[in-house]
Amino acid sequence: MDQQANKLYEELGGLARFVENAMKTIAEVGPQIMSSSAQLPTASSHLKDLNKMTEDGTLEVMRLTEVIQDNCVRISKELRAVVETLQTMDCVTLAQRLEAVNTAVTEDDKHLTEIMTALSFQDLVAQRVKKLVTILDEVQRKLMELVVVFGVRQNGKRLPDNGVADDLLKQLEASNSTAMKQEVADDILAQFGFK
Amino acid sequence: MPADPSMKILVVDDMVTMRRIIKNILKQLGFANVEEAENGQEGLQKLKADTFGFVVSDWNMPVMTGIDMLRAIRADEKLKTIPVLMVTAEAQQSNLVEAVQAGVSNYIVKPFTAETMQEKLGKIFK
Repeated sequence: MDQQANKLYEELGGLARFVENAMKTIAEVGPQIMSSSAQLPTASSHLKDLNKMTEDGTLEVMRLTEVIQDNCVRISKELRAVVETLQTMDCVTLAQRLEAVNTAVTEDDKHLTEIMTALSFQDLVAQRVKKLVTILDEVQRKLMELVVVFGVRQNGKRLPDNGVADDLLKQLEASNSTAMKQEVADDILAQFGFK
Repeated sequence: MPADPSMKILVVDDMVTMRRIIKNILKQLGFANVEEAENGQEGLQKLKADTFGFVVSDWNMPVMTGIDMLRAIRADEKLKTIPVLMVTAEAQQSNLVEAVQAGVSNYIVKPFTAETMQEKLGKIFK
């Protein structure tokens, strides 16, 4: 019995030394963790700036696109009126040429609509950046908690535990691997009776 | 019943760029009477304060999400028949099923084209 107890004490002693060494090691790397995590708010800020910059740029492209779209509609209306007048005056060739110009203007109007829809990339990028910012904020909070738990004190206040980083990370991964195309969505909708 | 070009449409999205794109497409399709809201809560307030014929909504928004707004619309006696089209990057099967169960009228996956919007409008207002 004594022999067993001695062995148990020995093992407990070994375990205690291991835990103490581990805590010392973690306490030593604490300042490095603090230093690294201090950079995270800057990274978040840069990401937020990126969102703002792409939004401003996209809005300006949209503004100019809409101006050109309105011009296209006006030019097309004017051309059509001129074509009708020329047709009544029997200027067939001139009318045909102007009709061709009108067709080109109408096609360009469609291209402008395509430019507008292509700009939706900004929304998709902004959504992912927002998720990354939330993840960075939570990683920073967890690093700070580690430092505090293992002996390096700092003045930061403890943030409420949102526990959303894992969820957002999964969503980001899902956007890469399981993002659904419109055709797949339509197939699923059809299964629910949508026609 | 075909869509009435003069009907008032509400576009609900927290991203100003996306609201502008949807408004632009709707204008190209002949619908110029469009209002905007930044989130589900603001959308719901506007729906209750005025008469709208159609709602186009994003899914992920602060304050109130699109799916919560959709549920609130379907639970409201005055609003429950308004067609709601979800336009969202949340394109996982579970999201789509959730939207269908909540009473969505149709669903568009971002990024999308003007043709897709026209096709969905045609299906909703046939």
